[in-house]
Amino acid sequence: MSPEIEAYRDTARTWVESQIAEFGRDARKGLSEADDLALGRRWQAAKQAAGYSAISWPKDHGGQGLTLLHRLAFEQEEIKHGFPNDYFGVSLGMPVPIVLRHQPGDWTRARAEAALRGDEIWCQLFSEPSGGSDLAGLRTSAKLDEASGDWIVNGQKLWTTWAQYSDYGVIVVRTDPSAQKHKGLTYFWVDMKAPGVTVRPVRLAEGRSEVNEVFFDDVRIPDSQRLGAVGGGFGVAMETLTIERYQATDPAGFGPPLQLFIDETKATQIKGKPAIEDGRVRERIARTYAMQSAMAAIYQRTLLSLAAGLQPGPEGAVHKLVSVRARQKLSEYAMDLQGVNGLRYDEELSRKESWAKSWMTAPTGRIAGGADEMLLNTIAEKILGLPQDHRPDKGVPFNQIPR
Amino acid sequence: MTILYDEQQQAIADEAGRILAARTSGERLKQLLETTGAHDEAFWETCKEQGWTGIGIPEEDGGIGLGLIELGLVAEAIGAVAAGAPFLGTGFGAAQAILAHGDAETRAAWLPKLASGEAIGAIAFAEGADMIPAAPALRLTNGRLSGVKPAVAGGASADVAIVLASGEHGPVLALVALKQDGVSAQAFETFDNSRCTADLTFDGADAVTLGAADAAQAALDILSLQAVVTAHEQVGGASKMMNTARDYALTRQAFGQVIGGFQSVKHRIAEDYVLVELARANALQAAASQGTEAFARNAAAARLSATEAYDTVSRDSTQVHGGIGVTWESDLHLHQRRARSLAIEQGPTPFWEDILVDLLAGEPA
Repeated sequence: MSPEIEAYRDTARTWVESQIAEFGRDARKGLSEADDLALGRRWQAAKQAAGYSAISWPKDHGGQGLTLLHRLAFEQEEIKHGFPNDYFGVSLGMPVPIVLRHQPGDWTRARAEAALRGDEIWCQLFSEPSGGSDLAGLRTSAKLDEASGDWIVNGQKLWTTWAQYSDYGVIVVRTDPSAQKHKGLTYFWVDMKAPGVTVRPVRLAEGRSEVNEVFFDDVRIPDSQRLGAVGGGFGVAMETLTIERYQATDPAGFGPPLQLFIDETKATQIKGKPAIEDGRVRERIARTYAMQSAMAAIYQRTLLSLAAGLQPGPEGAVHKLVSVRARQKLSEYAMDLQGVNGLRYDEELSRKESWAKSWMTAPTGRIAGGADEMLLNTIAEKILGLPQDHRPDKGVPFNQIPR
Repeated sequence: MTILYDEQQQAIADEAGRILAARTSGERLKQLLETTGAHDEAFWETCKEQGWTGIGIPEEDGGIGLGLIELGLVAEAIGAVAAGAPFLGTGFGAAQAILAHGDAETRAAWLPKLASGEAIGAIAFAEGADMIPAAPALRLTNGRLSGVKPAVAGGASADVAIVLASGEHGPVLALVALKQDGVSAQAFETFDNSRCTADLTFDGADAVTLGAADAAQAALDILSLQAVVTAHEQVGGASKMMNTARDYALTRQAFGQVIGGFQSVKHRIAEDYVLVELARANALQAAASQGTEAFARNAAAARLSATEAYDTVSRDSTQVHGGIGVTWESDLHLHQRRARSLAIEQGPTPFWEDILVDLLAGEPA
């Protein structure tokens, strides 16, 4: 890495570490979600004041005007300490940048500043009951009201992260059901407080509710809130999803670090001997280490490519697929090693601290943001050039697809 | 740490791949399979002619003074064609042992010859399932070696071997010239005959003790260096097998479409891609970290990933090919065989797992 980036990282690390007492993992222990969100807003404001928000955004968007490498360097430091940044990841990652890009102006700029301070939150209304992996299968409709020029939206979104706290959202809807499915979609931003918008948290198996179902009943969206052309919504959606293409990654799949497993197997016994002397345990450790070390090396190569102004290789596509399912299996095994104590469950511990929490939340990780099966398809089709699956809905007007 | 290949390194890789593809024939490799203890002369001549034999040896010792990264790239190209001799890797190991522990006389006697390829080197540490025996059955007494080192890769053709033997005060590393009275190399049938694997029997052979204070550690250090070269070779083979499966899946038709359109096939190949890229990343990271504190760990990780990748991908590639894949004609078995021989030579997976866990846990086995 360049000396400039390393110097930036050093400065960032010093600042980040000075914030741990006020905002870090321990400061969040025992807080209600409302209090945690409030702390999160203050953390966001602190980053904004210190010049660590929107690091790679252009200055005229309210950003710091630095590079992706600066942002990744900061994120790698930030990710270590469990700061309450969960609530703003989607908001600042995709919706706000895409609106800034498509509708620059004073109003958007004011929204961006509010979002960067943590005062306002944006959500991304893409997935639906009938359109998750198959995003273009979505059914929420928008019909043009010829009299007012507004669009009238009806339907339901699902899995919308932090919609319950959101002030605004970006949404893809079907404006032409007689067109082929990718071609009948249009993209808007929407006021989440508008009449007819109803948000209901969906409680996930692990007990938390960061995702929601969002109902639209005759919600009126002015045409001035449209991003891109009518019928061009799928393209804008894809553009949105590539904004955050490179993020800080965690070879442990956002679960506990391997070192925790090693430490525990030194302290746990199997048949009177430390578990770490057991061949089965050793195999797990060695294989997991080899995998994680490779993931870290792939990420490092991505950074080196970016620093050299090169397009990173496609191998970065393996991260989520490999790391999360490995975390799931290792978590199960770590619970086994605790014997009956493995049954205990501490809601307060995070998925990076607790194998049980990590195990309980891993299925979400293997589905959200691209299910394993979709990621395998992406590798097979985009990298290896293998054919797309047979798609009976291809080339068929949306309203003639059997349902 | 890891790196991006620079232009010179990329050129080495491209050139090695081009030359080896042009000079390797599946027919010849299959003839070698049916012969015990013979190797592909054309391949070994190419290694010498291209200077690959001298890559890991300093210029003052007759080599060209490049490192593991460059040798790794050549090894990857060699792996892709399942080339018909193991000497580049075994000779590299022998040279590294001499570089680390040989005196000036030993260096002068052997390094230029190993660098030019005039001499073939081998490593003989293992005895049965024990890759680095704590009390080797092979004995070194008053400069004379007696006993057997079984199943030495390259042993049938090697001119010099580095052995791990029991000396008067515990294990020692010793160098032994193999073309002398008192040494016999008995090549035997393996499933991958061009590895020239042989039992080496010593009966009072002259040997030179190398100055390794901790012979077991020195042996492990040499195996770690070799492991990185082998890992690259395995990545080359695995990558080749993945691409072969991909190409076949794009042309073979069944049930009215190319079989690569079925998820059971395409996901299998995508999983293979994942294994290859993980192995590639670890191999390169290990090569780039030579000489650093992380090297031993990285080398073990590279070996584990590479063995998993080559075994799995060669198995899967055969499966994707269906019946044609299991024919003598298809050549896939050349990689199926090589995947296993490379998995075992210089230490199988359980050996490297133990090495790695000891390093991570900070305690001896």
